[in-house]
This record gives sequence, structure tokens and C-alpha cells, in this order.
Amino acid sequence: MRVKRPDLNYLMRIIHSFIIALAVSLLVAGCATTERTPPQRLTGNPAVDTPTLLTNGPSRDKVLWQYRTAATAMQRGQFDEARQLLDDAILTISGIIGKDAEGRKARGYFSPEARKTFIGEPYERVMAYYYRGILYWMDGEPDNARACFRSALFEDSDTLDKKYAADYVLLDYLDGLASVKLSGDGSDALKRAQSAVRISMPGSYNRNANLLVFVDFGRGPTKHAAGRHGEHLMFQEHPCKIRGAQLQIAGKTYQVRAYDDLNYQATTRGGRVMDHILANKATFKDATGIAGDAAIVSGVVLAHNRDTQPIALGAIGLGIISKIASASTRADADTRSWDNLPLYLSFAHLDVPAGEQAVTIDFLDEGNHVITGLTKKMTINVPPNGADKVVYVSDKSTTPQNL
Amino acid sequence: MHQRIGLLSVAVSAALLSGCASTGVKNPSGVPVTEMKADERGFVAGTGVESQDLVAVTDKMARGILAVPQVANSTTEARVVLDPVVNETRFPINKDIFLTRIRTQLNSKSAGKVRFLARERMATLQNERELKRSGQVTSAADPNVVEFKGADYFLTGKLQGMSTRTTAGVSDYVLYSFQLIDARTSDIIWEDAAEIKKQGLEDAAYR
Repeated sequence: MRVKRPDLNYLMRIIHSFIIALAVSLLVAGCATTERTPPQRLTGNPAVDTPTLLTNGPSRDKVLWQYRTAATAMQRGQFDEARQLLDDAILTISGIIGKDAEGRKARGYFSPEARKTFIGEPYERVMAYYYRGILYWMDGEPDNARACFRSALFEDSDTLDKKYAADYVLLDYLDGLASVKLSGDGSDALKRAQSAVRISMPGSYNRNANLLVFVDFGRGPTKHAAGRHGEHLMFQEHPCKIRGAQLQIAGKTYQVRAYDDLNYQATTRGGRVMDHILANKATFKDATGIAGDAAIVSGVVLAHNRDTQPIALGAIGLGIISKIASASTRADADTRSWDNLPLYLSFAHLDVPAGEQAVTIDFLDEGNHVITGLTKKMTINVPPNGADKVVYVSDKSTTPQNL
Repeated sequence: MHQRIGLLSVAVSAALLSGCASTGVKNPSGVPVTEMKADERGFVAGTGVESQDLVAVTDKMARGILAVPQVANSTTEARVVLDPVVNETRFPINKDIFLTRIRTQLNSKSAGKVRFLARERMATLQNERELKRSGQVTSAADPNVVEFKGADYFLTGKLQGMSTRTTAGVSDYVLYSFQLIDARTSDIIWEDAAEIKKQGLEDAAYR
């Protein structure tokens, strides 16, 4: 029996036609309206680069740069700058309710999650409110500071496992302290803080305290993507040898212990709604890829028989479309991170004499030994009328500072 | 056969090109400045305290204060001092704005029945009086006579909130309560409240 050989010229013509169609489609793919941002020339110095990117970077990353610049400003004692940046970032965070065009695109098969306007994961939003709360207290507005601490807790309140909802010790503790300072009752907030303890137990409130010291240290979590298509959002922990701080003022030394750990907070949220969307995108990407392979192979097999060549043509066409759909699907998780956050949050409230005071802050390791090279020195002016003096210090703070 | 290939190529190209259409871009040219009434809910809204809440609440409070018998039936002016509003919600706000609006409403609508004392300016006023007493500046009356008025009433308020966040969305309830307190007896001679509840849900991309 004579076997009919396939018409290879005919098959080549089919393939040529599809290559032309594909090339045309790729050429016009640039028709979509996308935000084009010219590449920024970076110096490698975050203090210089972050303001540049805040001004000239893509608008969807604006809040990210505001967060980073605000944290740097806090560390440098530039509180006016931090205040403006955080106010603007919080406006974006609180105004994201309802339909959002960028959010809708980020959910689409052919756009990455990072297409959406960045507002950060809950632990990042918590920190924006936390820093703003510190600044409100600095400005003599403990009730607005308390409002920020409450909003911060609110950002952490919809965890999958309710055991981890709103479980920041320091935020509840500060909520109660602000209430005490405003002649209210902070006992409920103190109980909540003490019931959520994991690292250090906060003490009872000192009503006479006139110096509030907010201390943070270490490097907080950053994000990376895992999974075949980068669809799983993961958190990278960074080792930290600092375990606490000690503060010297007016001839006395005080120990300042960590209350909250941002690694723990970032990783105990449970799944996001977006994780399901990304999983669906990854499944679609796999399914269309496999279907495309199957269709193309089937098409090539069918093309060997002149009678089935029209069907082969359709199968190869569908296969190519399916492969293009697979390649265009973006299942990768959004890994933009507020990467200059601290790891541990700490606080102390002290009763100190009014007037100018020299403050020395040392950071301690696990064995309670002073870590050299991290000592911070400040000169503060404690008001004479019993008003609170609020100090913020980080292991990355510039030193010395006059506050 | 060649015709079929051509048609199929065109169809595939058309299908691929259809992705180029710029769909879903809302307001690609932006939105022009839109003047809105302060009591109107705009197209930019959150679940927090907003201008329409401020207007609704302060209008209600000003009407309530004017109807208080001690104010409405008084033959003399009621002198009121504003005591700062206490914010117990989760929203950091400019608290003074509530009392400022109530004061302006009462000043414009009370026909002189209510007078507010500028206690937040006391340092400046006392300094001016000292300048007059020392003869450094002129005075239309004897500067040694105490003319700073005492308060008949204190007007104050409190903002309290309850917030819930679940997978179904965000819910914020805010209770705005205001009181008029008799400075002599500490009686609360008037109190009223307004409640506003708002709910919303973020796009799934942010949850």
C-alpha cells in the first residue's frame, strides 16, 4: 500500500501565514494605553533616589515612595516632611474603597498584580498610621494620635484566622495611654495589649510620664514571589541581632524592650483575596499553555494527511492563540515592598525633669550587651508644663539630633 | 484552499488585534474641577468624616442650641466658650472645625442671642491689655477695669466611633454628640447627637 506523503510546501505556507499574523499582532501590541515613565538615573543613595522617584516615578508607586521617604525623614528627624508624605499616603489608603480602574486591570489575566496602585500589605499600612500617630503626639494631639493607632489596628483586623486580628501589642497599649493622658479610661486597651503579648509584657501606665520614646530597630520583611509563575507572595525575613535598647537620661538608665515584630505580623495574615485571583491566573496560564501544545502537536499530526489538512490548520491556529494567551497571562504577585521598615517596635514612657536633657540610646543584643557603632545621642527639651515630649529613634537614625 | 488560509489568517490577526483597544480606562483625559456643595456627597468618598457630615451635624446642632429655652427666652445674651471636641474615633480629624462651624452658624442666625468668647486669643488679649495699662498704647476706656467676660455656657462635643472590617467590607459608624453646659451649675442644659454610618468595599486587588 502506498502511503501518501504530506505536502510540506502547503504546511510551510500555513506556518508562514501564522508567523505573519503573530508578528503583526506583536507589533501593534504597543497600542494599549500604558503609563510610560522614563528610566530614572539613580545614585544608589536612598536619601537622594527616593525623592527623585517620588517625583518622577510611576504614579502607581507614589505611595510606596512616600512610605520610604517618610521613614527616612523620620530617621533624620525631618518630621515636617514625614508628616506631609504620610498624610498624602493615608489619603490614598483610606480613599481606595469602591471601584478602582487600576485594581480591575490588576485582576485581569494579562496584567500583573503590580499594575495596581500601591498601598501596601496591611503591615505596611499599619506602619504608615503608626508613624503618623507618633507625629500627631509630637504635635500635642494625643487624640488624633490615638485615632491613628486605632486605624492602624483596623488595618490588621480582617485576618483569615481571627486569632491574629488586630494583635499589635504596642498599638493597643498606646491607645490606652492616649486615653489615660486625655483623662479617659485606658484599662480595656491595656488588657488587650497584655493579652496579645508575644515578646515583652508592657507595664501599667505612668500617668506622670512626660517623655514618650518610640524606638524601632532591625530590618523589616520584604516581599518576593514564589511558585511556577511567581503567583505566591512570600516574605523575606532579615536577621537582626538587636533585641532591645537602653536609654540614659538625667543620670538614670532605662531598658526598652520590643513589643511587636513585623515579620510575625506580615506572615500571620492568612491568604488574601488576590491570592485566589493569582492562583486562577496561574491555572489559566498552565491550561492555555498545555492546550496550545496539544493543539499544535495534533495539528502537525493531522497535517500529514491531505484530507485532514484543513482541520490541522484550525488546530495549529488555535494552538498558537492558546500559547499566546498563556505567554501573555501575568500571574506574578506584587512584590513592591516598603523596604526600610524596622523589624521590632518598642516604646517607653518616662517621668523626667523638665528642661534640656541629654539622651543616649544604645542598642542591645540577645545577651543584653551594647552593640557598638549604633549609639544615638540626642538633646531634647522637655516642656515645663507637664506636656508630653515625644521622641522617635531608630537604629538607623542620624546622630546627634536636637529635638 | 489559499482563500481559506487567507481568511483564517485575517481572523486570527483580528482576534489578536482586538486586545489593543484601550478599554476600561476611566476618565483618560482626567476630570475637570467640579465645584460641589459642602453638603453634597462627591464622587470621591471614603467611610471617614467628610464635609457633608460636618455640615449636616453642625446645622442640626446649631438649630438645637437656638431652640434651648435658656437661650431662646433669655433677655440677655448667652455667653458661650468653646471647649475642644474630643475625638475618640479612628479618624484623625481637625476637631476645631466642628465648633467653628457651629459658632459661625449661631453667630449668623441667633440674632445676637448668643455671644462667643475668644478664649483661644486670651494670651494676645491680655498682652494688649497690659500694653494699655502701661500706657504704651492708647485706650478708649479705663484699662484697669476688668472687662473680659465670663462664660455662661460651655459648648463641647465628642466624636465616638465603631468600626468593623470583614471580607464583606468596611463599616464605620460615628456618633457626634454635643453638649451645652451651664458654667455656674455644671448642668447639661442641652445635648443632641447625630449618627452616621458608612460602608464600603475595596476592589479585590487590595484585599
